[in-house]
Amino acid sequence: MKCVILAAGEGKRMHPLTFTRPKVMLQIAKRPIIEWNLLNAIDAGLKEFVFVVGYKSEMVRDFFGNGEQWNVSIDYVNQGKALGTAHAIGMVERFVDDFIVLCGDTIFGANDIKNIIKTDNSIGIFEVENAEEYGIVETKDGFLVKIYEKMKKPFSNIINAGMYHFNKEIFNYIKKTNKSPRGEYEITDSINQLSKEKKIKGIFLKEWRDVVYPWHLLDANEEILKKIDRKIEGILEENIIIKGNVTIGKDTIIRSGSYITGPVIIGKNCKIGPNCYIRPHTAIGNNCHIGNACEIKNSIVMDNTNVPHQNYVGDSVIGSNCNLGAGTKIANLRLDKKNINIILNGKKIDTKRRKFGAVIGDNVQTGINSTINVGTTIGNNCFIGQSSSVKGEINSYSKIL
Amino acid sequence: MKAVILAAGEGKRLRPFTETMPKVMLPVANKPVLEYVFDSVKNCGIEEIIVVVGYKKEVIMEYFKDYKDIKISYVIQDKQLGTAHALQQAKNKINDTFIVLSGDNIIDQNSISNLINDKSEYSILIKEHSHQSKYGVVFIEKTILKEIVEKPKEELGKFISTGIYKLPYAVFNEIEELTSQGIYTLSSVIQSIIEKNKNINTIIADLWMDIVYPWDLISVNEIMINHFPSSTSGIIEKGVNIKGAVSIGKDTTIYSGCYIVGPVIIGSGCEIGPNACIFPSTTIGDNSVIRPFCEIRNSIIMNDCHISSNSHLSHSIVTKGNIIGNNFSSITGESTIDTEGEFKKLNNIGTMIGEDCTIGSNVIVEPGVIIGRRCKIDHLKRINKNIPSESKVM
Amino acid sequence: MCGIIGYNGFREAKNVLIDCLKRLDYRGYDSAGIGIIDDKLQVFKEVGEITHLEKEIPTIRGDIGIGHTRWATHGAVTKENAHPQISPNKKFAVIHNGIIENFKKIKEDLEKKGHTFTSQTDTEVIAHLIEDHYNGSLEEAVFETIKNIQGAYAIVVMCEDEPEKLIGARRESPLIVGVGDNENFIASDIPALLKYTNRVIYLDEGELCVVTKNSINIYDKNKKEIEKKKDIITWDYKDAEKSGFPHFMLKEIFDQPNTINQALRGRISEIDQTINFSEKIEKLLSNDIESINIVACGTSYYSGLVGKYVIEQTCRIPVIVELASEYRFFGTRNKSSLVIAITQSGETSDTLAALREANKSGCKTLAITNVIGSTATRITNGYILTQSGPEIGVAATKTFTSQIIVLLLAALKIASIKKTLSSNDIYYYILRLKELSRQIRLILDESNKIIKISEKIKDSNSIFFIGRGINFPLSLEGALKLKEISYIHAEGFAAGELKHGPFALLTKKTPVVAIVTKDSTYNKLLANIGEIKARGPQVIAIADENDSEIEKHADYVVRYPSNSTLLSCIPITVILQLLAYHVADLRNCPIDKPRNLAKSVTVE
Repeated sequence: MKCVILAAGEGKRMHPLTFTRPKVMLQIAKRPIIEWNLLNAIDAGLKEFVFVVGYKSEMVRDFFGNGEQWNVSIDYVNQGKALGTAHAIGMVERFVDDFIVLCGDTIFGANDIKNIIKTDNSIGIFEVENAEEYGIVETKDGFLVKIYEKMKKPFSNIINAGMYHFNKEIFNYIKKTNKSPRGEYEITDSINQLSKEKKIKGIFLKEWRDVVYPWHLLDANEEILKKIDRKIEGILEENIIIKGNVTIGKDTIIRSGSYITGPVIIGKNCKIGPNCYIRPHTAIGNNCHIGNACEIKNSIVMDNTNVPHQNYVGDSVIGSNCNLGAGTKIANLRLDKKNINIILNGKKIDTKRRKFGAVIGDNVQTGINSTINVGTTIGNNCFIGQSSSVKGEINSYSKIL
Repeated sequence: MKAVILAAGEGKRLRPFTETMPKVMLPVANKPVLEYVFDSVKNCGIEEIIVVVGYKKEVIMEYFKDYKDIKISYVIQDKQLGTAHALQQAKNKINDTFIVLSGDNIIDQNSISNLINDKSEYSILIKEHSHQSKYGVVFIEKTILKEIVEKPKEELGKFISTGIYKLPYAVFNEIEELTSQGIYTLSSVIQSIIEKNKNINTIIADLWMDIVYPWDLISVNEIMINHFPSSTSGIIEKGVNIKGAVSIGKDTTIYSGCYIVGPVIIGSGCEIGPNACIFPSTTIGDNSVIRPFCEIRNSIIMNDCHISSNSHLSHSIVTKGNIIGNNFSSITGESTIDTEGEFKKLNNIGTMIGEDCTIGSNVIVEPGVIIGRRCKIDHLKRINKNIPSESKVM
Repeated sequence: MCGIIGYNGFREAKNVLIDCLKRLDYRGYDSAGIGIIDDKLQVFKEVGEITHLEKEIPTIRGDIGIGHTRWATHGAVTKENAHPQISPNKKFAVIHNGIIENFKKIKEDLEKKGHTFTSQTDTEVIAHLIEDHYNGSLEEAVFETIKNIQGAYAIVVMCEDEPEKLIGARRESPLIVGVGDNENFIASDIPALLKYTNRVIYLDEGELCVVTKNSINIYDKNKKEIEKKKDIITWDYKDAEKSGFPHFMLKEIFDQPNTINQALRGRISEIDQTINFSEKIEKLLSNDIESINIVACGTSYYSGLVGKYVIEQTCRIPVIVELASEYRFFGTRNKSSLVIAITQSGETSDTLAALREANKSGCKTLAITNVIGSTATRITNGYILTQSGPEIGVAATKTFTSQIIVLLLAALKIASIKKTLSSNDIYYYILRLKELSRQIRLILDESNKIIKISEKIKDSNSIFFIGRGINFPLSLEGALKLKEISYIHAEGFAAGELKHGPFALLTKKTPVVAIVTKDSTYNKLLANIGEIKARGPQVIAIADENDSEIEKHADYVVRYPSNSTLLSCIPITVILQLLAYHVADLRNCPIDKPRNLAKSVTVE
């Protein structure tokens, strides 16, 4: 039984984080989203994987290789042009017989995967609160009747979770699927056709987490960090305080005066402290430097990034290879305490959060004492000069002097 | 369902702006009007857009060659005889009910959706009469269209036609009949259909704007620019004050001391300032240079313009390639403009300048003046009447 | 030149090969063919367009194959001469880009041994040799074969008895391996593969690759296996559309107001009065440059000649412009000289060879090119892109003017470093550069005047172009454009040289286009026109808009908007392009694909 994971999507709503990586490689609690699915699938007993890649495929391939690090085998198929979920799944015809499909950018639980494995011809479904964002599923006696497109006033709160158990028959239906109104080949159309001739069982899932916008990464991060253990490798100096569940990677050094309140996860080879304060639900990547007088709270900081002197980072997502100049601070709360808006791809969106900092891409450098306002997005390779004040959407390669 | 967009017309009333491009390509908030129409139509489940082109069609086809997400095909109307004749050119590409709209009107997505989902065989979008329309005034009973009167002499009726219809394939028979008699407008075809006792359902459109005269661009720009929130690229020096929704393009440099109050859109490759002031509802195109101490308000500046220091532009349109000397003043105020024998009174209008003019320094232009293409105006001139294209003012 | 594609994977080879060949369409266009192994080796070839070939191929399974588009070098354009060429036992198929210099001798030797040949190509010889050397290992056979052949080649070989592998080998002609997942590709250039993979391995001289569905092994010329780096291609190759213009060339001429701005984008600041390049380029241009060598071919050579005038006037350093095909064998190599190579495609064989020679001699090298990721960008110390977008018409138009703009910018930068120009001067040039776009638009709008003149000269036997100073290379370019696409004999001369020979050719039927700029050469040019008219020909003058004298001397005048002498070359070029285009159009010539010409010459 092979497990196919769809990992080809760009994830435009995750800009600027997805300018340099596919959506499935965004990190939550230091692991790429797709790795969480891989681990849970392994827990469910699967050993053979096929990743359908496309956008920035090298990031996925370089990270996973042939899977030996996880004791499984991983094969790759390049989708080429992003023509939709049916097109992506259709690519693997030659490589599978009876197989599971997981959408790589949604996090599924191991038990649910086990259930789907047990049932031939099934589809995972889940109950949510805000069903207008998803395709609604209509079932009768536990079997699929139809999967509907997104609708403004959904008649049910049960959605298509993005996990399927198929066999070779599905490929005939995929070949006959036409382009949807938005110009893609949708697997939901193929499934609707299949369900007319074969019974497809709807299996309720217990765990399901979708990430669409950058702040959802913070939500997912928080949820996963709640489950981590206390595991400290690395070097600890004297006079540091570590409370709660904190994971610290190899070769990381925590200097005196550091105060870390878990759950927090810190990667390998980092330099933390002296005298810094790392607060709950923070995930710090590898090779990072969090220096003196810095405070980080509820944020994701990716690899090779430095928050080195007198900085504040709250409720933010910072990409890799960034350097915050001394004194750079990110605001995360409006003075009038209203919800924070963010401008993404030129559109204003309400994050529905009272506390939200910034979303910063890769290779961004900020000068000393620069200030970043709430809800700011900064693209890749930007240069924020000393004492600048930044707000709104800053596109890649900009300079604010 | 397919959509036919009529984009073949020249737009004579929009001269001199339409001397080098069809009217559908005139930009509002840095996008050609036609692109707004495409955007609204694209997301309504339309499977193909058929564009009827004619006048300066290369401009349209080149611009949209990379347009994604929907199939676009072109049919050519060799002689611009009228809207029904234009629609007729698309006949071979259609085999079912379709919608037809003009490429030079701004229309919102919702209204198109409503039109598509309407159950009647024939439907039309209409708008309250506070707007002007070149498609005529309509009379309705309950919601059924009773009569369209083009170019009414007095202010009749409460509603006007937007020229946007949903029609069955059978309408082509009606069109054949009328065009063979030398009647070429869609409104006439519709009138004829009404007389044959067919019911045409009317739906009120949400956002609809027609662009008939050059100054219409300014008011449409003012409304459409509000849909663009902040987005910053390029280089912003220290000491620049940016307020409100300001969009700045790639490779643009805003030099120190500039004061920019949104909504403002600035294109790519521009150099603004130092110490220039750009006030709301202003759009500046690509590769333009605005030199120090200029004040620009509620205006449209297109690509490749060069505005020298201490110039003042308000409620004005400066098209592509203009080189304007320093101390240029466009006086803004009331003006009565003579168009096609009618007099239109405008309250707040500045200057409208055609492409590639060279204007010297210390030139003053009275409100409502239209300067044609490739004009040369010497220094220290006061312009109080329209200047035809390719003239020199010495 | 010829386009090559090889596929080995899980998709149906026929679909992949046809798709990739369509993307190689611009390289060569008289015939095409594909070979697929599906149990047996099957080969399909047709003269004409790829769509023609596509119709002729039946549904065929088979996930390994090779495809080729041919631009004839040896042998006429026929189905038999198209590739793939197969060996006598019909088990080996070869596709080839390049010229085998000693193929005649090899063919004779093989014929003596009893071989018979079905085509006139040099490629068929390769197939025969491989079969001869075959002893169970395809790569061994290919290794032996390439020892015997001299010349340039990029070949891909497959064998019915070893249907799991493709072999690729190159010398001089480019060949790259595209790395996929459960599939691999071999191709002559990147656009062919970009839809399927963005990972490529560039094969170097003498290397051979063995490509299966899941593995790539590369061997150097000593048969030693080597590791090679995979490059990730980050750019997107978009197909251009004609968008309502009757020809790509016309569209590209009309694109110039745009492409000129693109070449300037991010590189000039009016307010700061500076010319800006990337740090790497600025460093390259600041080295104490005592002289400059420009190497190029064809139209790029002419933009180099324009560059010479520009650089010498602004930087006061000597510039030598050489044809790349000459430089590589005979050029002067001076370590303190900066060698600038101009090549639109970045793959022009002679220019690359010249660059390699320059590198070997220790010179600093700079490439001016339009294609990111091309070989020229990789073997020089720095490169500046002309940023004009893809040029599809075979006759270079927008890339020529963009090359001149880049040379102008580089010259201004060097001049500002050497202080041979004051910052006021630089500012003056910046303002003039910014006016160019508008001025070109003006000329394009007045095309009708040029069409009228084209009508008058379209039936001439020969047309001559003359100019002095910076206009001399323009006269060469004007003549080149005209003869390339209208097939009328045309020649450019330095105006001062006419009396030293070419006068003998002048008759009433040989119109002369004279480029007249208001500078120190003006009076002399007027005198030249007088001398010409005395001998019969009509004179068409391309003159400054403010020139009021010229009407008295020339029969027809086409005007260009005033600009500084150094920059007028751009509007004048556009006039020459339009003239060539309209003459060709009036003569119904196939403008986008002139006979016997190819877009990027990767052979010698």
